[in-house]
Amino acid sequence: MPRRPTRNRQSLIARPLTFAPFARSLAHLASTYMPKHQMLGSKFTGSPSNNEGGAMVKKTLKEKNEQSESSEEEEFEGEVQADFAFFDPKADDFHGVKILLQSYLDNTEWDLSGFVDLILGQTTVGTVVKIEDDEDNGLFAVVSALNLGRYKDHKCIADLKEYLLKVCLEKSIQGDLRALLGEQAYNVGLLVSRRVVNLPPQLLPPLYDALFDEVSWAIEDEPTKELRNSFRFKSYLLVSKIYKHKNADKKSRLSSDSEEAIIYDKPEDEIFHKLCSWSFNFPFHAEQVVAHELKNYRPMGLVMAVEADKVPTFREQLRSLID
Amino acid sequence: MGYGLMFENSCEVGVFSKLTNAYCLVAIGGSESFYSTFEAELGDVIPVVKTAIGGTRIIGRLCAGNKNGLLLPHTTTDQELQHLRNSLPDQVVVQRIDERLSALGNCVACNDHVALTHTDLDKETEEMIADVLGVEVFRQTVAGNVLVGSYCAFSNRGGLVHPHTSIEDLDELSTLLQVPLVAGTINRGSEVIAAGLTVNDWTAFCGSDTTATELSVIESVFKLREAQPNAIVNEMRNSLIDSYV
Repeated sequence: MPRRPTRNRQSLIARPLTFAPFARSLAHLASTYMPKHQMLGSKFTGSPSNNEGGAMVKKTLKEKNEQSESSEEEEFEGEVQADFAFFDPKADDFHGVKILLQSYLDNTEWDLSGFVDLILGQTTVGTVVKIEDDEDNGLFAVVSALNLGRYKDHKCIADLKEYLLKVCLEKSIQGDLRALLGEQAYNVGLLVSRRVVNLPPQLLPPLYDALFDEVSWAIEDEPTKELRNSFRFKSYLLVSKIYKHKNADKKSRLSSDSEEAIIYDKPEDEIFHKLCSWSFNFPFHAEQVVAHELKNYRPMGLVMAVEADKVPTFREQLRSLID
Repeated sequence: MGYGLMFENSCEVGVFSKLTNAYCLVAIGGSESFYSTFEAELGDVIPVVKTAIGGTRIIGRLCAGNKNGLLLPHTTTDQELQHLRNSLPDQVVVQRIDERLSALGNCVACNDHVALTHTDLDKETEEMIADVLGVEVFRQTVAGNVLVGSYCAFSNRGGLVHPHTSIEDLDELSTLLQVPLVAGTINRGSEVIAAGLTVNDWTAFCGSDTTATELSVIESVFKLREAQPNAIVNEMRNSLIDSYV
């Protein structure tokens, strides 16, 4: 077995590969960041982001910090600078990406590892977000667009198609879905976008810009005609997650109208949902950690088909949403 | 040997199960195929028990045990404790202990003779471990990590440790444990050995991401190819009957 020289570890803090960088970095995500990709040259400082999942996550982090050794080398002072950088996916990112995609298809057993390999293999279109010079290689977000026709022979894509067709209970949509997954597959890009809960929203416009720009560059730059054409997507298929209010289907008014019918796990999904050609929901069975604010909501999967020509509108609306 | 296991798309077999020479604990939930793989491999020889600990499924990381006993964290409910006492063989002492570091599976790695523990464990806990599990206890680190229960997995025949363990540490640990050790990975390069692997003297279970190389290392260091479960369990039974008489 090839042996590597010992790394001189100063601290005695246990750092399981995938857990601690998450926790540490989430703690650091209180505010400051600098998106290298766009070279904005300005620094942001803001208060800790306030989304639904945020409260729960910070609480568990505090407890984790209290239990760790006194020889902790990093003091949690409240605002720490974090430089996020965008990278092409590579083989090393396997574990990070796999964790982000864990509940992509609810708790079905499918060829998730194969799916991750597909994403990592496609370096021309696809981005992962990591911290610059992070020794633990923690991964915070992944986006990619996979041509359903190009990869149709892979087990993971076959599993995915089977699953989506199985959970689509709306008769009217089944036909459209079957067409997208079948004859039109060569023109469909599966848009994969997953990230950690607390990623600063300011990173989203550059992230999606990167993805769609890479798609248009691939149309020009890929070495073979077949590959170039494989990125001429006519539509994108998205599999996402929402929280639907338990009383949403009832006609009666909710006692407090401030409660929304649908809460989107990712804010850009709301924009996609408005622009999509069709969509359907499916029930989610995986065990969830439910935040107090979400106790009246049921988690559901959301599948949407968005025409490729709606992308510029999406990019624009995303920018105005975040700013 | 069981490989290619998945618990709800997670390859971390050692998180959702606990395997010893006398019993096997499996988490509730996941698919039936997870449980049935264990049943198929072990069913005739040792009991396979479905349980939760403290209402969670991460049972492999919360408890520590061997053929003599099972130690549970203070978060274990009374019903779970009773269920385990009822389901496990009588000679296995099931004990709930009050330890601040409640993820006992991460803090303690043991076989039937020796245990390695987290350096900050309470003195009372150390005594409990020695008492209930019938082992000699050593406070150690593995590759500079205090979570010895996460970064190494060993049986009475061999052990696998964190890939960055130095040769000196490897020799030292091997002398303490009196078994051959190898530094390696599980589940396609993961360093958290005990999360991806669960092993006893005649069989092992690992996640579906484990590569062929990793599998062959496991089979060789734990000497699984020649292992005969019935011989081992009968040997255990004989020695127990001797001491009872």
